[in-house]
Amino acid sequence: MKKRLIAGLLAGVMVFSLTACGGADKNQGTAQEATQETAQETTDAEEETESDAAEPSGAPVELNVTTTFAGEDTNAQNFKDAVAAWEAETGNTVADSSATSDETFKTRVVTDFEVGSEPDVLFFFNGADANSFIEAGKVVPIDEIRAEYPEYADNMNDDLIADSLVDGKKYAVPVNGYWEAMFVNTAILEEAGVEKPGADYTMDQFKEDCEKIKAAGYTPIAAALGNIPHYWWEFAIFNHQSPENHLEVPASVEDENGQAWVDGMNDIKELYELGYFPDNTLSATDDETFAMFTEGKAAFLIDGSWKVGGIVGACQSDPEDTSTIDADKLAQFDVTYVPGNGDRKATDLVGGLSMGYYITRKAWDDPDKRAAAVSFVEYMTSDSIVPIFAQHTASALKNAPEVDSAQFNELQVKAMDMMSGVTSLTGAVQDLFQGDCRVSTFDGMPEIVTGKVSAVDAVAEGLEMYNNQ
Amino acid sequence: MGASIYRNKKPAFVFLIPAFAFMVVFLYYPFFKNIINSFMEIKQLGSSGTGLNTPWYANYVEMFHDEYVWVSLRNTLIMMVVTLVGQVGIAIILALMVDNISRGKQFFKTVFFFPIVISATALGLLFNLLFLYDKGMINQILEMLGKTELTDWKAEGIALFTMMLPVMWQYVGFYFVILITGLNNISDELYEAAEIDGATTWQKVRYISIPLLHNVICTCSVLAVTGALKVFDLPWTMFPKGMPLKSTFLTGTYMYYQTMETKNVDYGSALAVLIVVLGIVLSKVVNAIFKEKDY
Repeated sequence: MKKRLIAGLLAGVMVFSLTACGGADKNQGTAQEATQETAQETTDAEEETESDAAEPSGAPVELNVTTTFAGEDTNAQNFKDAVAAWEAETGNTVADSSATSDETFKTRVVTDFEVGSEPDVLFFFNGADANSFIEAGKVVPIDEIRAEYPEYADNMNDDLIADSLVDGKKYAVPVNGYWEAMFVNTAILEEAGVEKPGADYTMDQFKEDCEKIKAAGYTPIAAALGNIPHYWWEFAIFNHQSPENHLEVPASVEDENGQAWVDGMNDIKELYELGYFPDNTLSATDDETFAMFTEGKAAFLIDGSWKVGGIVGACQSDPEDTSTIDADKLAQFDVTYVPGNGDRKATDLVGGLSMGYYITRKAWDDPDKRAAAVSFVEYMTSDSIVPIFAQHTASALKNAPEVDSAQFNELQVKAMDMMSGVTSLTGAVQDLFQGDCRVSTFDGMPEIVTGKVSAVDAVAEGLEMYNNQ
Repeated sequence: MGASIYRNKKPAFVFLIPAFAFMVVFLYYPFFKNIINSFMEIKQLGSSGTGLNTPWYANYVEMFHDEYVWVSLRNTLIMMVVTLVGQVGIAIILALMVDNISRGKQFFKTVFFFPIVISATALGLLFNLLFLYDKGMINQILEMLGKTELTDWKAEGIALFTMMLPVMWQYVGFYFVILITGLNNISDELYEAAEIDGATTWQKVRYISIPLLHNVICTCSVLAVTGALKVFDLPWTMFPKGMPLKSTFLTGTYMYYQTMETKNVDYGSALAVLIVVLGIVLSKVVNAIFKEKDY
């Protein structure tokens, strides 16, 4: 009898625990619904929400802030300095949980919103990555903030602030833009008898140059196709399109854009078969092929504006100390345009303002944090701070101050020169093509270039998944 | 009071309940939730299911058609054989050798056990440097020996070997310590009697040490086979996303890849169920094969 009682007791505890967990889910759902309802109500009647908000206590607050200004990001130190200055100015403090921008970071942010532990201010992507928390009403539109704080982001050119893919509203105030271009190791080019590519560089010229570089005993292209094929993926497709239609995800593999994607994949396959990528391109990591480039073993590297900092760091004996820079080594590196083809000129690059500061609904609804969050974003997007972060990239400032190039290193100056010749900056279509639809052509790139999967099948599989999302 | 305090079992259950509740919340609930998730449609990591899959068992059907499931199962089975032969086998040899020396036993015990205390991720990074294509230690040694071309130790044909070697190396010490403890438990009188009878060292090993180690070897074998199912961090550090050409996936790394990289969360849940089923079946089979004997 006793045993039965004990068994019953234990079973009861188990059921209770399960119920408790289930209950927690329900509560969470209810909380989420409530937040969504609040968001809706706030959007519908902004003035009412204002009057409903409790009075702020006026005491200094601690803001939870998450950004991508961390790790090797060129602006990591700039961000720390700016935060310290804002803290000193306002008396508020910042709990900074910034991390390097990668897939893990994106997942962390999305999960934080799901479970209700989102930060107060977030610096994040403004494309499809932000869809889930915008759909859930967990961030505040700029217009809603301006209803109470009319000066919020009024120094920005609104046309350059990206619209949300969910509802067409603007949420994220941009700081610095990005560009993707081709870095070159000029020491290798000289040795191979190749001139630095210019504004009218074509794919045919690029292949000729690769052949010369290969003959000179160097690897032409530094890229890890089995790890980070992203940049080649983007430009290979772009080379069969134009800036006007690059951001259109094809409806099917058979339409014109779909065929452009297939041709792009086949171009990468051709370069692989010609032996222009590193011998271990399918098994190497991006760090390994980047090291090949900085150590003078590979000539070309297509990458983003953030890589300027990485190359400069590789030229320093102490990556943390800019005074240890080897100026002769840095002088070997340059940045230029990506070989063009068809309707895409070499000077038509991928870039734009893909990230910005969001204020979360949680912070907005907190009377103590609302003003602090607005103040923080206004400070970080002010005319004096933005140029420090933007450097050689674009910004959305209405009155961008003249950049003092004396504060830049040689590669940054070369980047600014290169940017001055850009004819168009188009966003990356891969930012719209998110989720498991990417797998067949990103993770599947080794299968495509080795011929295990045809480019048509890989693209068709990805598009089918995208269209079923 | 008196002796009744020992008969009253209620306090024991009171103290057991917190641990039991902890297990329920953090093990059994996620376990059953995972089974449910494997039938749901989940759009991304961290979000709830939007409804049942169509059909509800779609993930389990897909598993049979997914060639990488078969690749990961094949690699996991190879890993089991490698752990049995490479880890337990080498550990037996090392244990017998160390048991036969009179000085420096403690030194070898420490040296062989040392890799266990280093995190698998750190070991993965260490072996990444050893096997690095350009300027890796092994390629540099081969270059010094006259090899003119670099070897890509992570290329398709050789990647499995490169992945399993460090895994094997890491756990040899673990089984070595268990086996040497087993050897210490064998009475010296048996060896002395054999010596008086004129037995050679090999005969003592063959007819005394190995038979009396049978149960310990069985335990090690069961641990090795079930442990092979859980290997994750070192292979993932060295071969993320099953590279090259998705040829190095193990069941654990493939489940992680589907869940965390491709965000196919419900399919990842189904793969987790497969791993649990596989673990239960294999542990039953291994227990049946390596039955312990009563002496």
